Amino acid sequence: MDFRPSPAQQILISTARAFLRQHCPPELVQRLALDERGFDETLWRRMAELGWPGLLIPLELGGSAGSLLDVILLVEEMGRAGLPGPFVTSAVVATSLLLAAGSPAQQKRLLPTLAAGERVATLALVEESGSFDLDAVTLECAVPGRLTGRKLLVKDAHVADDLVVAVRVGGHASLILVPADRPGIARLPLDAISGEKLFEVTFDGVEVRPDDLLGAVGDGHELLAGALQAGAMARAAEMVGGAQHVLELAVEHAKTRVQGGRPIGGYQAIQHACADLVRDVEASRALLYAAAWKMAEGLPAESDAAQAKAYAGEACLAVARRGHQIFGAISYCEEHPLHLIHKRIQAASVEFGDGQFHLETVARAIGLVSEAPLPPSEATISPRDFPG
Amino acid sequence: MNFDFTEAEQAFAEEVRLFLRANPPETFPIDGMDAGYGSGAHSRAFLRALGAQGWLSMCWPKTHGGREQPMFMKLVLMEELALAGAPFGPLAGCWQTADAIIEFGTERLRREVLPAIARGEATFWQGYSEPDAGSDLLALKTEARRDGDHYVIRGHKIWSSHAGIATYGLVFARTSREARRSRGFSMFVVANGTPGMDIRPIRSLTGEVYHHEVFLDDVRVPADLVLGPAGEGFQALLNGLDADRFWGRFYKAPALGRVLRQLVDYANMTPVRGAPLARDPLVRRRLAAIAADITALRLIFYRTGCLIRDGAPLTYETAMAKVYADETGQKLARLGMDLLGVWGPLREGSRWAKLGGQISHLYLTTLGHTIAGGTAEILRTSVAVRGLGLPSEPKPAAEPRAR
Repeated sequence: MDFRPSPAQQILISTARAFLRQHCPPELVQRLALDERGFDETLWRRMAELGWPGLLIPLELGGSAGSLLDVILLVEEMGRAGLPGPFVTSAVVATSLLLAAGSPAQQKRLLPTLAAGERVATLALVEESGSFDLDAVTLECAVPGRLTGRKLLVKDAHVADDLVVAVRVGGHASLILVPADRPGIARLPLDAISGEKLFEVTFDGVEVRPDDLLGAVGDGHELLAGALQAGAMARAAEMVGGAQHVLELAVEHAKTRVQGGRPIGGYQAIQHACADLVRDVEASRALLYAAAWKMAEGLPAESDAAQAKAYAGEACLAVARRGHQIFGAISYCEEHPLHLIHKRIQAASVEFGDGQFHLETVARAIGLVSEAPLPPSEATISPRDFPG
Repeated sequence: MNFDFTEAEQAFAEEVRLFLRANPPETFPIDGMDAGYGSGAHSRAFLRALGAQGWLSMCWPKTHGGREQPMFMKLVLMEELALAGAPFGPLAGCWQTADAIIEFGTERLRREVLPAIARGEATFWQGYSEPDAGSDLLALKTEARRDGDHYVIRGHKIWSSHAGIATYGLVFARTSREARRSRGFSMFVVANGTPGMDIRPIRSLTGEVYHHEVFLDDVRVPADLVLGPAGEGFQALLNGLDADRFWGRFYKAPALGRVLRQLVDYANMTPVRGAPLARDPLVRRRLAAIAADITALRLIFYRTGCLIRDGAPLTYETAMAKVYADETGQKLARLGMDLLGVWGPLREGSRWAKLGGQISHLYLTTLGHTIAGGTAEILRTSVAVRGLGLPSEPKPAAEPRAR
């Protein structure tokens, strides 16, 4: 057993940390969160020069053939810096889908441009149900035919050149890949506290051609599962990186903020809060790395990934909330960085499956009988259900 | 990164599983209560069986009768034993004492005590705490006075686990009154039955005896039974406590995993209003969430194990891991009591007790875990001060000297 990143991974981490310190300072994060477009093209191009968007893509398609574990380590640094933008949605999720499902023609057309950062792709999955489960998708689409309906919470749709859309073809869960500027597609911004750019994407009689299919009709579940798992791991990595940043800021503050004649870190109330930050960050990171390692090794990791995402959602959010308490009033200001990290962690905790979603996966994996849950009227909560 | 075992580790795990199938843990007689830490009950017979396998001394140097196996083999062994619910209660204490004897024990300790440990015939109680020296251990009053080639120990120890059935006590006593509060301590290996030693049981809230208090009334101990350099005992003790936190809690994750499996079975098999308890969404979520806690706990301990294996310096890791282990155990026991509801309080052996009455036992024993071996408060402070570099709370101006 070995918990250390490889020498190559250590270089990736230190390069990322230095790059983001220089090119993605807190002021930029703050500005982009408040900015309507919230996308820094210069920064994205620089990231592309480092090969980041192509990390998962094979060499022959212009990428650098990294593993999911490499991606996770990189995204952890992005989370630490609070880097906004479409990296996870495009370079992890959409790219994973193209790698898993794309025809040779689709891959050859799109993957080199994604790797070079010249194009951005995103996934349009969620509908009114708010679920990341493909079973909840109702949007019908004939191929060839016309697509009419809408998708919600589509991240970074405004900068996306290509949309992967989860649909039903004759009732069968399937994926289609359409350019974002095809006539009939509109992108309506939502307004989220996180500063992340989310959209309602509407389709009004959009033409769908036979070669727009991504993978075979009815393969949607299988194709989407791996990409959603990768997305969940990437968002967990963002949370771990963000929580690590909160820990560093809080400890620094506890050492320097003097009240009652000594640094507040000299009081046990603050010491114990800081000790809990360490546990939450390290436990979240350990679950994340172990799950990502298994996925990168091609081992079954469904439960590991679900545990990592659910745990990070809970623990990293607790870190952010405790961070506010350690900082006190100053962290209530917009110019203070803590709330941005906090909001990003919160956003990451619900994308690609929230805690409830992933814990159900774990519940099945540990052997709890998996018949349909009790109808709401019967699932009444008794007093003994409440934790102490 | 690599989260797998090596081939040798996997082969050894299989060897341990075969041993456990051939020697079912439940067939060994029990001499002392299971305190819920995950190492099961105290069984001399089981310890001797481990000794007969050569597993107690497998990591020792060849010059001391060992086989110089890598330290990770101990982790593999403990994980398999804990998964099987085996009664290996005294094992971690035996290993720690052996390591201390190998590192700085006298010739006599190496000659007399090490072979007994290897055979599973020597077990140890810790004589650290005193009635007025708990978290503030340096306030201890037990004194060892040099008298020719002996020390004469006088004092009162308490919370010594299984002292009544162990073979030796590890007694921490003041040997000189030096200016610095942390100097002038030594550790003594004192055989049970030495004249002047009076071991009295303390009945615990479970109704059984686990702890003892020990009165030492001019107990004469040969000077070559001092463990570690005389007067430097405190640093040795700190190292020992660090190790204690790791080795005394490493097996908690697999042991809790075993309890979790029992609770999952219980939830699957228990009808509530006509449907299995396992179909209640809140029950599913709480069991799943604690499964993730147990996975994380196991990884935290293996990560610390890697640091120990690689000789990396430890500052806060074992303190953090111990608190997490003990609080997760409490959380699981609490959840178990919730699931069992009205059946929860029934004891082992009672009519109608569910899951063998083990959950109520776990619920009670885990109460002590965040107190024993460093309270959760002391350890959180340790994480903050040693790990994060936060300033220590100021000491009282006039530090009381040991009287």
